[in-house]
Amino acid sequence: MSKEQEPSIYETHKCRLLRKYQLTDLESLFLFRFEDPGVAQDWRFMPGQFVEVSLLGLGEVPISICSSARRVGFFELCIRNAGRVTSAIHQLQPGSLVGIRGPYGNGFPMEQFHGRDLLCVAAGLGMAPLRSVFLYALDNRWLFGNITIINSAKFGNELLFQKELEAMKDIATAENISIVQTATRDPDFEGLHGRATVHMDKANVDPKNCAVAMCGPPAMYRGMFDYLVEKGYDPRYIFVTLERRMKCGVGKCGHCNIGTATSWKYACKDGPVFDYYAITSIPGLI
Amino acid sequence: MRYVKISPENTYEFLSRLKGMGTLYAPSKISEQFYDFQEVDDVKDVEFDYHRTIRPPRRFFYPVEETMFTFDTHKVELKEKLPRKERVILFGVHNCDIVALRIMDAEFLDEQPDPYYQIRRQNGIIIGLSCMPDEYCFCNVRRIEFVDAGFDLFFHELPDGFLVRVGTVTGHKLIDPNMDLFSEVSKKDVDNISEFERKKADAFKVKGNWDDLRYLLELRMDHPMYEREADKCLGCGNCTLTCPTCRCYDVKDKPSIDGRTGERIRFWDSCQFRTHGLVAGGHNFRETKQDRFYNRYQCKNAYCPETTTAYCVGCGRCTYFCPADIQFRSNLMEIGGYQEVKK
Repeated sequence: MSKEQEPSIYETHKCRLLRKYQLTDLESLFLFRFEDPGVAQDWRFMPGQFVEVSLLGLGEVPISICSSARRVGFFELCIRNAGRVTSAIHQLQPGSLVGIRGPYGNGFPMEQFHGRDLLCVAAGLGMAPLRSVFLYALDNRWLFGNITIINSAKFGNELLFQKELEAMKDIATAENISIVQTATRDPDFEGLHGRATVHMDKANVDPKNCAVAMCGPPAMYRGMFDYLVEKGYDPRYIFVTLERRMKCGVGKCGHCNIGTATSWKYACKDGPVFDYYAITSIPGLI
Repeated sequence: MRYVKISPENTYEFLSRLKGMGTLYAPSKISEQFYDFQEVDDVKDVEFDYHRTIRPPRRFFYPVEETMFTFDTHKVELKEKLPRKERVILFGVHNCDIVALRIMDAEFLDEQPDPYYQIRRQNGIIIGLSCMPDEYCFCNVRRIEFVDAGFDLFFHELPDGFLVRVGTVTGHKLIDPNMDLFSEVSKKDVDNISEFERKKADAFKVKGNWDDLRYLLELRMDHPMYEREADKCLGCGNCTLTCPTCRCYDVKDKPSIDGRTGERIRFWDSCQFRTHGLVAGGHNFRETKQDRFYNRYQCKNAYCPETTTAYCVGCGRCTYFCPADIQFRSNLMEIGGYQEVKK
């Protein structure tokens, strides 16, 4: 292959929307399949990575992949109807084609998690990337100890994948999986109330041998870090994922830059997953 | 390294011959105060004694706006629109701008090279030119007042011509067929060069190095300078557009009138614009002017491992072209606790 034919870092693959499933008022789950059989076979990602979804004529948006990394040729995106491009994606009908670039970002270091308990803490849209982490652990169940997932949202009807997680409760006990779902500002919610932080005692894991994956607003991380360290969780296995304006995905366009002069980072390339020490030592990350 | 000498008359002849090899750009006076790299028509218009160009040389490899893709909305297909391989020769690039291009290389030609930049850069020839600092320059404290790499040829001013350093094989290939224009370097020429470098070192208003500035910027995050200076800032983005190492870009789709086809275009963006950190839903990661001002000070003073320098090369453009008269160097000196040299 000559140099000119090498795939560009901006190479976009054609993907077909197969199914659209409404999760909440604002968020829907989209199942995509690669059109090119070769790409479908070879395309891989790690939980925590994201793709750039392209609607030609409108532009691109970065979206976390929320499906199982084991499923080849297909992937799911949980997308909030929030802006110009995402509202157009919500109007797409099954069968429509979109462009996909990626996967980008470092993702969660899943191999480091092997042999440990797993605690996933999600707030709001944070459940989207963490679903991929959670599904990884289920797909590789024998590589993990106990698993706890804490899913929180302001209102009960905003809990992402609530039904899916609820349905899993039948096998949860036998599989040593704990599922905690809580609404922070919804007195009518028939379930737990309060922030994720107040339900941390329901985590059925051994802090000393547990990997923690979190995705939520920065304010949650601050409180959570103090709690986790106090309870004896190993900081080396605490990871969070950050949101920034990831425009190019390859550390070029500069929009997702974070940090300070000693630690200048691109969230799209150096992140979006950062460990406890990066978050606590680099000002401005959260 | 190979060193040769060229006389002033032969320099003009050499520039004429370079014109035959590609598009030659060189500094030219474009107004009473400003210089810019312009395509050379008459070699006699080339300005050898200039302080800084208004637009940095990165635009030759990373244009202000370019089409990345053309697309077909019905087939949902993007076609990459790569630049043509055209020879571009930049003459008269100062040391700061040479290091700045190496910093651009570090970002655009990393393990995931940007094909647009790569093609243009591979077809570029860089010819450096020595300079005497003015009151805005501080490349010395950035440790780049003398460059060892990043140029094909480097012209050092002599009282009677130039001493030319040959930096690359491309440089040799420029010299070899034109040996009728060049002569050997004498001991006196070498003495003149070292005298030039001594004068240059003396001309800077600041001395030493600012290696510890990164740490001090982080340790003095709450310094009152940010609030005071950000208050003056107009948010116009001149500092980033004239900066030789700023490289943020935004992307937009430009559909045709019938919507069937279109172009995906990228264009220079500025971290000083409110939209730089703005995402869907109205959230802004750098909400206030001070957030954006602070962000630039951190970014410019961060460490580039490939050049072992800061991203700021001390060219002075952001201060020289600031309509609000914000003094970048003085502000950094305030943070770092550095003093100007008393004459």
